Amino acid sequence: MSESVILDIDDVCIRYGDELAVRNVTLPIYEKKITAIIGPSGCGKSTLLRSLNRMNDFIHACSQDGKISFHESDLYSNTTDPVEVRRRIGMVFQRPNPFPKSIYRNIAWGPSINGLGGNMDERVERALKQAALWDEVKDRLQDSALNLSGGQQQRLCIARALAMEPEIILMDEPCSALDPVSTARIEDLLFELKENYTIVIVTHNMQQAARVSDYTAFLENGVMIEYGITEDVFTRPENKRTEEYVTGRFG
Amino acid sequence: MKDQVVSNLAWRHRKAAAFRYFCIGVTMFAVAILVVLIYQVTSLGMPWLDMQFLESFPSRFPEKAGIKSALVGTLWLISLTALISIPVGVLAAVYLEEYAPPNRLTEFINLNIANLAGVPSIVYGILGLAIFVRFFALERSVISGALTMSLLILPVIIISSREAIKAVPGSLRQAAFAVGATRWQVVRSHVLPAALPGVITGVILAISRAIGETAPLIMIGALTYVAFVPEGPMDEFTALPIQIFNWTSRPQEEFHELASAGIIVLLAVLLAMNAIAVYIRYRGSKKSS
Repeated sequence: MSESVILDIDDVCIRYGDELAVRNVTLPIYEKKITAIIGPSGCGKSTLLRSLNRMNDFIHACSQDGKISFHESDLYSNTTDPVEVRRRIGMVFQRPNPFPKSIYRNIAWGPSINGLGGNMDERVERALKQAALWDEVKDRLQDSALNLSGGQQQRLCIARALAMEPEIILMDEPCSALDPVSTARIEDLLFELKENYTIVIVTHNMQQAARVSDYTAFLENGVMIEYGITEDVFTRPENKRTEEYVTGRFG
Repeated sequence: MKDQVVSNLAWRHRKAAAFRYFCIGVTMFAVAILVVLIYQVTSLGMPWLDMQFLESFPSRFPEKAGIKSALVGTLWLISLTALISIPVGVLAAVYLEEYAPPNRLTEFINLNIANLAGVPSIVYGILGLAIFVRFFALERSVISGALTMSLLILPVIIISSREAIKAVPGSLRQAAFAVGATRWQVVRSHVLPAALPGVITGVILAISRAIGETAPLIMIGALTYVAFVPEGPMDEFTALPIQIFNWTSRPQEEFHELASAGIIVLLAVLLAMNAIAVYIRYRGSKKSS
């Protein structure tokens, strides 16, 4: 099976003011694989993830060097429209953040403002089914999304990202606010999603990274210490720091 | 040791209870004063409050005097003020919260808005007289008054709208941006609807203040004796607080009672506006839940 790089992170540095949050990270993201980014709190994982769909644009003090290529075109060139980038690279956040609207509107809003064609009802149903939420909400699509449980809300947020039919889905610790049962459901979901989507997931949870991902990158203090096939990183890491971290001796 | 702890607990409970009664007392004091005021005003003014009072123009004879020109003048003034100040104020707040880059100019604007909110209303009257009445030659018209009032309440509207917009969680904006929305789509579909109840509360408070203001209107020369109702924005006018002020400054007792009747009308206008605001908030909260 040939593996093509969909997103190429090349020597990227990200600063908040004078503070260097991500230092010279070079990392390929393979198509239709799950790449996990692990590391201790404050190591720059989320910052790096947010740079992949230009969510750092909203932080004024944030600046970036290096190059990120999406299908070999520069993600940060002057001719790249960040709105278009975010349409094609979706994101799921750490805490479930549904819109305070109906379940249906939560899914349909993105496709409708972007003028995506097709039957909207079908699109909503498809997204909810992909996110394994359809059976629980099919009879109350017009209810407020805020009445759902935390785990359901997070699956709704995944469905909202899926409805855009993005090429890549970025997930920023999507299970950190959830109980173990909800977490397990979302992990199952990731396996199904990687058939069609490229996923980059930031996680604090070592077992989760080991279970779900194909590739793992380990970051510490903004530096990428190790990157490789997940099994290798967890069973025979090359770097001593990685070994200490994945075996739980620090962090 | 144990006894000591228990006695200490009893003392803490007494302190808690004392504070509670103190708070109840203070609240009751404020309510009592309000009740006395309302009682006095209604007992004096009610006998004068009839259709004749609402439909007559001011007069030298108390039994013929009415409030028509002032009431219609106030309604004109407030409608125009709302039309001018709400869009300008809310959009300025949207700009400052959602678009303005954090630079020196924005800081300078912020500082000035905060200061303007504290400027005495008579100063706005002088400004209105110089700019609208004289420089733009709008004369002593309703539009001069409305523009002056708009200047007066703009800082209040901007500040309260900004607070409401600021209270919209950033996670909501991020969620909208992450599905490929433009800034306008985020503001239009998510930020403004979520901020609306807070914005409306601020707007109503500001407009209510404008209804009660007298000083700037005297400054720009809103007449105290007007025997006609304004038919357009360029007509001369008077307003309720000015009419009330005029009546209270007369020696005859009957005019003081007329002033009370005028105050009842003013309060009624204020309450009606607040009722509208409550209704809009109620509808807004029902829609979003």
